[in-house]
Amino acid sequence: MLKAPSSLGVVFFPAYDWAISPTHPERQERLLYTQDQLREEGLFDFEGIREYKPDVAKTGDVDLAHFTFPDVEQVVTSSHLISAGGAMRAARLVMEREAKRAFALVRPPGHHAMKVVHGTRGFCTINIEAVMVEYLRERYGVRRIAIVDTDCHHGDGTQDIYWNDPDVMFISIHQDGRTIYPGSGFPYELGGPTAIGSTCNIPLLPGTGDQGILHMLDNVVLPVLERFKPEIIINSAGQDNHFSDPITNMAFSAQGYAELTRRLGAHIAVLEGGYSIQGALPYVNLGICLAMADMDTSQVSEPTYDPEMIKQEQRVTDYTLSLADQLRNYFMDPPPMPKHGRVEGEWFVREKEIHYDTDGIFERQTEKVFMCGQCPGTVVIESRADSGPLCLAVQIPLHACPACVEKGHEVFETGQRSKNYRRAMLVDRPGKDVKRVLI
Amino acid sequence: MLLGIDVGGTHTDAVLVGTDGLKAWAKAKTNHTDLMASIRDVLGQIVPQAGHEPITRLNLSTTLSTNAIVEGLTEPVGVFVAAGPGVNPNAYAVGQHFRTISGATDHRGRITSPLDEISALEHAAHCKTAGVSVYACVGKFSPRNPDFEETLRGVVHPQADFVSCGHEFSGQLGFGRRIHTAVFNASVWRVFNRFADAVQRSAIGFGLNAQVNILKADGGTMPLSMSRTFPVESILSGPAASVMGIIAVCDIDQDSVILDIGGTTTDIALFADGAPLIEPEGAVISGRPTLVRALKSRSIGIGGDSAITFVAGHVRVGPRRLGPAMAEGGNHPTLTDALNVLGSAELGDVSASRRGLNELAAQHGSDGRTMAQDAALAAVTSIRAAVIELTRAVNDRPVYTIYELLEGKRLVPKTVYVMGGPAKAMAGLLSEVFPEDVLVPGNYAVANAIGAALSRPTLSAELFADTQRGRMLIPGLDVEESVPRSYDLDAAQEDAARYLRQYLEHLRIEDPEGMMETIEAQSFNMVEDDAMVGRTIRVKCQIKPGVLPGYRKAVSRQC
Ligand SMILES: [Zn+2]
Ligand SMILES: [Zn+2]
Repeated sequence: MLKAPSSLGVVFFPAYDWAISPTHPERQERLLYTQDQLREEGLFDFEGIREYKPDVAKTGDVDLAHFTFPDVEQVVTSSHLISAGGAMRAARLVMEREAKRAFALVRPPGHHAMKVVHGTRGFCTINIEAVMVEYLRERYGVRRIAIVDTDCHHGDGTQDIYWNDPDVMFISIHQDGRTIYPGSGFPYELGGPTAIGSTCNIPLLPGTGDQGILHMLDNVVLPVLERFKPEIIINSAGQDNHFSDPITNMAFSAQGYAELTRRLGAHIAVLEGGYSIQGALPYVNLGICLAMADMDTSQVSEPTYDPEMIKQEQRVTDYTLSLADQLRNYFMDPPPMPKHGRVEGEWFVREKEIHYDTDGIFERQTEKVFMCGQCPGTVVIESRADSGPLCLAVQIPLHACPACVEKGHEVFETGQRSKNYRRAMLVDRPGKDVKRVLI
Repeated sequence: MLLGIDVGGTHTDAVLVGTDGLKAWAKAKTNHTDLMASIRDVLGQIVPQAGHEPITRLNLSTTLSTNAIVEGLTEPVGVFVAAGPGVNPNAYAVGQHFRTISGATDHRGRITSPLDEISALEHAAHCKTAGVSVYACVGKFSPRNPDFEETLRGVVHPQADFVSCGHEFSGQLGFGRRIHTAVFNASVWRVFNRFADAVQRSAIGFGLNAQVNILKADGGTMPLSMSRTFPVESILSGPAASVMGIIAVCDIDQDSVILDIGGTTTDIALFADGAPLIEPEGAVISGRPTLVRALKSRSIGIGGDSAITFVAGHVRVGPRRLGPAMAEGGNHPTLTDALNVLGSAELGDVSASRRGLNELAAQHGSDGRTMAQDAALAAVTSIRAAVIELTRAVNDRPVYTIYELLEGKRLVPKTVYVMGGPAKAMAGLLSEVFPEDVLVPGNYAVANAIGAALSRPTLSAELFADTQRGRMLIPGLDVEESVPRSYDLDAAQEDAARYLRQYLEHLRIEDPEGMMETIEAQSFNMVEDDAMVGRTIRVKCQIKPGVLPGYRKAVSRQC
């Protein structure tokens, strides 16, 4: 029988009883053919590869990653808690050495869910990678974590959550935001003032193929990771860069994804997007599983694969080569301050407008980070969704210095007294305390 | 009356069961070079005891196919595999005559690249030259479209004594398992059919007018005629007979554990609400996973003959075997010797057991009785650990809906049933480590044959429909039909049950409704460009394993 050189745990949860709407791209059918393919290939019969069911995330797990308004119960359904729990299970498998690597093949996805959550955007309600990352830090004390987002869409939610966090490196490779949802993910988005350089965005031209992404991986992503020296690498494994994906314009193949997975060598992969549910997902998911287990992927290909048809144009290749050189230099030596935002005393302030396309909610935010110098700094967010009440969110980060801990509590209390807010939430990570207040 | 025969590793047991209870039983040493001799032996003992009452059924469990495979006494098989993209098919290569033929079918049964018939013909010619006359033809996703397998069968049919096609075994997915199943089936076909001929001749010789059935690994039976085409289904029927025996003699209606303690191993099986659990994927034979339906069981290397050893300051039992118990002339103490020393058993020369344990104990600064206690404790502790592990694995099995994940039933055994040679001697020790009730059923020594006698037919059918393509298939029953675009889950469930019933009637199996159940029914909308274009429907039906209720009443009071 086949044996996996590297053990792999696959947390498979297709949520066959959940969908946003019957014909939504993110529907029950999405992982059906992947399951058919994995079963038919006998993946779980191979020595060293096992299937696991997900854990179920609790409200407290979500609170470590998000400020949810009005509260977790009213915004989040069991499907989201299970999907995040699937990512947590994958982390647990790796941390407890039950498997060398783990792949959470779950839905719904999460990378468009930002720090503050009022509803669903880009098919995402809670950020399943972020819930997992906080679980890794809280339960296992992992300090330096890298998330490499290979979904075709910019992982704006994950970026937002770790914008001010120098311990979590976020790298996103995606189709250029000028041509696709959510319209962000430009190289100058480098993180907040206390974490500048720990966010790296690599926009690619529509039509970029295997050659282009692998070039970016080798020449930008891997060097940046090499310098950051993460304890754990997580792959936000979105599969909508595929040439057959109906909602994107890229030209990656199953072979490209398998090779990317092999070279990246992530400890944990979490499924994100990917909506070519018949033509791509079965093959791409199989390729990723085999690559994570260090097995032969040479015969994995789509029935419609034709290297000539999806060949990357020369102008794309030229662009990719020159962009890679520029980005590597830029990320290795980033400017000292963010391009957008302003300094107000000891605080760095940025205004944000967030559109929840799935739920039709519009949110305005003011985010302030305390430019501490000793620690990542307490973060304070004022948020108003549509004409709803103004909400206050205060995050005292892990490893906060005593001054920032005090600062956080002070802002939270002043906020409550000010009568400016209807709801307030405080997450004090060093004090392991979460407070929600209805004023 | 029903006659049950269980050809076991050591003994061949037979029982005669009437509606008023166990009428007779017989035992003979199993003759491994001539299984028929053992069968004739017990038939000779038992048939005369039937008197004037007719024997209507003979159910037989046999180790023949298992042994032939494990001992490599099978014939070479010409293997044709249409793999298409995915895992490298060479990983499944078996024997000298394995060939991958290019061509691909996708998960919906659509042919995405044509079969290379020229290369199939070449391989057929090679096999003919090599003197191969049994074949296995297997395609990836053949349960979704058996065309390639049928084409390959057509290529070798003129030169073949027998051809196994993968889709005939199951509608369940599992390409590697399908290859192994079809190849094993072809490889034991001839030897099994010779055996079937001999069984039929013997039955006639003894004046039996009974319907002859063969036991399967899932605890059910199949008619002898069917076993001739699917001999691989007879593997692992011995352990299944034991489990069915427990169902027959005990009134199991809740979550339970069955322990069958033998000479070298203890087999563990689990029951949920009184029904034995089936291995969802299929049995593993000789290290190769197959699609053969089997009861869920786990075997650990602890039995009466397990050697007692001393490792890093701890007494260990098994999994090694260093010959028979000292009580039976061996020269290394075993678990049986420890049970003798503790007074739980009185097997053979008890003083030899005592001597052996005292000597081993003296080498480690202990005494025989303490060592016997430690050994017995180590054995029951290991068995309990294995039970916990198996139960945990069952409760941890993946589920795919939010409903199942949040509401799923958990298996919580209430009773542990113990059978096999050392059962009586171990029961007391087991109840010390198991919080559940520990029971040793009466007649446990021949419960396996009772199980064989009372087992009913089992069968499963997996239906797959694709309304966009207008097709419905039940591969195991060789059904392939056109369906309208309006075909839905209800219609599919009805079809699966109807075809399963028809097949059972065709096999002249009575009471087909008996234990029929739908174990899976799913329908998914297929959407293309924001519009629903059809449904993909999957239904799985089965006749679940069980024993004949009329006869069961007669024997179950013995528990
Ligand atoms: Zn995406
Ligand atoms: Zn600070």
